[in-house]
Amino acid sequence: MLEIRGHARGGQGMVTAFEILAKIFSKLGNFQVQAFPAFGVERTGAPIQAFLRVAKKEILNRSNIYHPHLIVVFDESLLEQVPVFNGLQKDGAVLINTERPVTDFSAPDRVVYTVPATRISLGLGLGSKSLPIVNAAMIGALARIFEVSLELVQETIRDNVPAKPEANMEAAARALRSVNGANGRNRFLIEALHAQPQKNHRKVEDLHFDVPLEINGMETPFWSEPSSKNKTGNWRLITPSYSDRPAPCNSNCPAGTDVRGFVRLTSEQKFDEALELISRHNPFPSICGRVCPNFCEQNCNRNELDRGLNIGAIERFLGDRAPEGKIKPAPVRHKERVAVIGSGPAGLTAALRLCEKGYSTTVFEALPQAGGMMRAGIPKFRLPDEVLDREIRRIEQKGVKIELNKKVAVEELSSRFDLVIAATGSHIGSPLRIEGEEFARDGINFLREFKLDHDADGLHQGQEVAIIGGGNTAVDVARTVLRLGGIPTIYYRRTIKEMPAIAQEVKEAQMEGVKIEFLTAPVALAPAGPSQVALTLTEMKMGEPDESGRRRPIPVPGTERAILVGRVIKAIGQRADLFAFGPKPVEPQQGYIELESGASVFCAGDMAWGGTVAEAIGSGNKVAEEVDAYLRGKPYHEKETLPEVVLPKDINYAYYLPMARHYNKLHHPRNLTGDFNEVARGLDEQEVVAETARCLHCGECFNCGNCINFCPDAAIHVDEEGRLRIDYDYCKGCGICVQECPCSAMQFQLTEAVL
Amino acid sequence: MKKEHSQNGITLEAPLEESSGKYPRHIQVVMKGNYAAAEAARLCRAGFIPAYPITPQTTIVERLSELVTEGKLDATYINMDSEHSVFAAAMGAAIGGERVFTATAGQGLFYAHEVLQAIAHFRLPMVVCNVGRPSIPWNIWSDQSDSLSQRDTGWIQFYGESSQEVLDTIIQAYVLAERVNIPAMVVLDAFYQSHTSENVWIPDQNLVDRFLPPIQPGEMAIDVLQPKSFGGLIPPEHYNRLNYNYWKAMNQAEAMAEEIATDFGAHFGRPYGNVEAVNIGPETRLVLVTISSITSTVRGVIRDYPEVGLLKLRLFKPFPKEAVKRALAPLSKNAVIAIVERNFLGDNEGAIMQEMKRALYGSDLRMYDFYAGVGGKDVPPVTIEKIIHRAFHQPEEVNWIDVG
Repeated sequence: MLEIRGHARGGQGMVTAFEILAKIFSKLGNFQVQAFPAFGVERTGAPIQAFLRVAKKEILNRSNIYHPHLIVVFDESLLEQVPVFNGLQKDGAVLINTERPVTDFSAPDRVVYTVPATRISLGLGLGSKSLPIVNAAMIGALARIFEVSLELVQETIRDNVPAKPEANMEAAARALRSVNGANGRNRFLIEALHAQPQKNHRKVEDLHFDVPLEINGMETPFWSEPSSKNKTGNWRLITPSYSDRPAPCNSNCPAGTDVRGFVRLTSEQKFDEALELISRHNPFPSICGRVCPNFCEQNCNRNELDRGLNIGAIERFLGDRAPEGKIKPAPVRHKERVAVIGSGPAGLTAALRLCEKGYSTTVFEALPQAGGMMRAGIPKFRLPDEVLDREIRRIEQKGVKIELNKKVAVEELSSRFDLVIAATGSHIGSPLRIEGEEFARDGINFLREFKLDHDADGLHQGQEVAIIGGGNTAVDVARTVLRLGGIPTIYYRRTIKEMPAIAQEVKEAQMEGVKIEFLTAPVALAPAGPSQVALTLTEMKMGEPDESGRRRPIPVPGTERAILVGRVIKAIGQRADLFAFGPKPVEPQQGYIELESGASVFCAGDMAWGGTVAEAIGSGNKVAEEVDAYLRGKPYHEKETLPEVVLPKDINYAYYLPMARHYNKLHHPRNLTGDFNEVARGLDEQEVVAETARCLHCGECFNCGNCINFCPDAAIHVDEEGRLRIDYDYCKGCGICVQECPCSAMQFQLTEAVL
Repeated sequence: MKKEHSQNGITLEAPLEESSGKYPRHIQVVMKGNYAAAEAARLCRAGFIPAYPITPQTTIVERLSELVTEGKLDATYINMDSEHSVFAAAMGAAIGGERVFTATAGQGLFYAHEVLQAIAHFRLPMVVCNVGRPSIPWNIWSDQSDSLSQRDTGWIQFYGESSQEVLDTIIQAYVLAERVNIPAMVVLDAFYQSHTSENVWIPDQNLVDRFLPPIQPGEMAIDVLQPKSFGGLIPPEHYNRLNYNYWKAMNQAEAMAEEIATDFGAHFGRPYGNVEAVNIGPETRLVLVTISSITSTVRGVIRDYPEVGLLKLRLFKPFPKEAVKRALAPLSKNAVIAIVERNFLGDNEGAIMQEMKRALYGSDLRMYDFYAGVGGKDVPPVTIEKIIHRAFHQPEEVNWIDVG
């Protein structure tokens, strides 16, 4: 009787292979066969054994095989874990799936064969790198050792493998040709195959007992003892780990703010740390907390559950509680001096960053007050002056010099500064391109003049004002007009859905009494008496989408009508102010600008890209990095955006409860005339902390403990620092922790080699 | 035609197709014990199969599901929500006159305990395979505690030594169950049988059909034209009568099982008995008593020990008292009986010892009990030799071998 023992990992197909071998032997010569597995707690990757007995007569032993004639090793890494060679008969044979030479396994009284079954199987698409299905190849190799015809082997494989019969047959053929080791027939094995059981006529008195050899190699713990000695980590095919995937709030913030991070710190009531974290990217938290369209909130995954977080209110709270204390100026460490033209958010951010890096920086501002569009374009009822003053003051305290009332061009600075950053913004109103254009005032000018000079342009109580446009400027103009006692109506050529203004601002404007007529566009303007303008309007309808993907509004013929209003103010967009570059036309773009003079000039802010404070801050951060690299002679690479933002599909919403959003309270007096008080009020500390509790923590572990609770192997623990950790000695890679992680803060990858 | 399968190596005898002369109208295949059980259910034309998976039985019901899907078995196959439901469905179908088959193991059988009683006491014939495994501490390996603990539910119980015997016994069990209106359980060992691929002879369908006629619905069967109620409250005087009838039927079962096993031998060429005696004679000093797959290993060991014999129990319920007494009759009064128990029922002796004592009440034979292989612990030849050794050297009445 021939006895063969196999060692493999669950999933490699060894049990099927041994059954196929049994079938091959039974067809070969009317052999009696017996093939069976010995499973542990069966699972993919676990070490398993299989046994095969082949005999001419009835097999009278139904126990495991302790003294095989042949040992077959499907997975080389088992040699480290399981005493696979235990009990091999003298002159017995071993067949190992390996790339290593036969001599690596040689020993006296042992015949060694090797076959690169993993390479053969993977080459034919059988299994995966982490779990190659090598059974057909191993059968092929055994066929070579027993000199069985390939035809019979392939036919039996074809009839018995669960999938890919052709590839399996080919694997057997290739393996049969790839066996290394002794040539010719193995007399020992063939003799065992044909040997008849001998009667020994022992007396009971002659009995002696060999303790069966340990062939399992797995220290299985007793049920009531700790399972710690059963290190099952090596069964693992996939490896889970804690990961830090970007949250949509973070990846959406043009300024680059770690939104998730400051929300978490706020929830822990670490307000100073939270502010510090914001400040790394954004020097204007109080401002952004008020005027930002909150890109972070727009894709907040909580929107799928109830409403996104009120991140603006959290940021505002943190910014507003910043201590007024003296900030230590950053020491100047470099000799290069940098000039920034324009004190808007881009210019100030760039200046601050370079100042922090040790450059002497001076900002030149044409207007009498710093802040750019934040100062001149945003009305006080949205952004009080003192908020702006405070955040600019902090920048100045850090060491940035601001020279006001200095409208300068690049040329005149080039001699005094090593480098100039132009961030002069986009504040020149776009033309309407209609007849009577000259009778419309410019919205952005209107806002600036009123803000800086308190010049209401002669607007008087009860005057009808038509505002053309749908952006924030149009809405701000309308609300300012309302507060000056006028009667504003916004005419917008598309619908409310397409309105580029911040939706909340539109809502507030409408609540205040601003009328908005949608799908209405101006056709012509004409003077009508000393204080009136005739405005011809047409109705529009939405046509086919244009290049931007938005549906293009087209006039509806025959719907023109004329109205008389006291004033028409256009607010249909702004273009860049390029005076700083001199008379030659320049195409502004983010970063380095090629000028004829060869001066070192960089560009940032609205004139380069964007149109919001947050985008300008991001632009300022970016240009500062580029300028620093340029001055230090280092290469500059834009930071790549992180991959795989956590999306709603990655969130396990079942683990979150609906919680009402904390909205900002609004200041809406009955009579708005002359009332430029801030409309939106902030949240108090309690509300802010409560709001942060709504964060889903997308892509970031927040120690919810689901992984610990669900891990069936108790392979997760909390370390000394209170962090969740996986003990890879025991993690079998079931993946349940990854599945049950509420916020996609865990991932898994295929374990490349099972070791 | 003889087909040469070797290139130049092994000397070949006639290949399989020509060797089928051993059992005419059979084909020989290599298959797992669980597949042999499923194959038997197919050959017996089981008409209703409720199923619920549990290791190590699962591949039986999986294979049956394939056979039904492939159109090789015309049966109603239903996935149930638990073993309790499986047996309840089995009971309902049997009341309806269907030939019912299912399989379970360990916890599944324990869970079905209540319905096992009901099926038996409703006198509903059916055959169920149990692949033995114990309960707690959690274990999936070979052990007969599950089925042996159900010995008092009123079911007939057979234990098979090989895949062939399981297949053949299922056929016989249907004949017996339907003749005495008592359900029968055919037990095979986990892994050592259930997952072991070995040579099995599969009889032709018409051979089986002639041995096992279609099920005849009895007067108890549901007939929509003759409405009856089932499962109502039975007053004491009727209950008494029902149990008396059951007792009479069970008393006939032992002899009937023997008769059917003999008929089976005549019909299929493989004779069986309720017990099998090997090397039991006046010179025999020790007889090992076994059930199931350990028997094979004992056969192998005692070839070398002429003074040791073997008594294999194939039928366990009703316990084959007559057959046991007959088999042991040739022994001298100094002979010793050693019982191998792969079960533990919470008492001093194992289940087989208890039954053997009952059967041999009043006999002078010394009897020793040996727990071995409980919870799937491997029983290699050396363990059997240890039992032999201990049986001759101051054994306790009850002994544990190889306690780790």
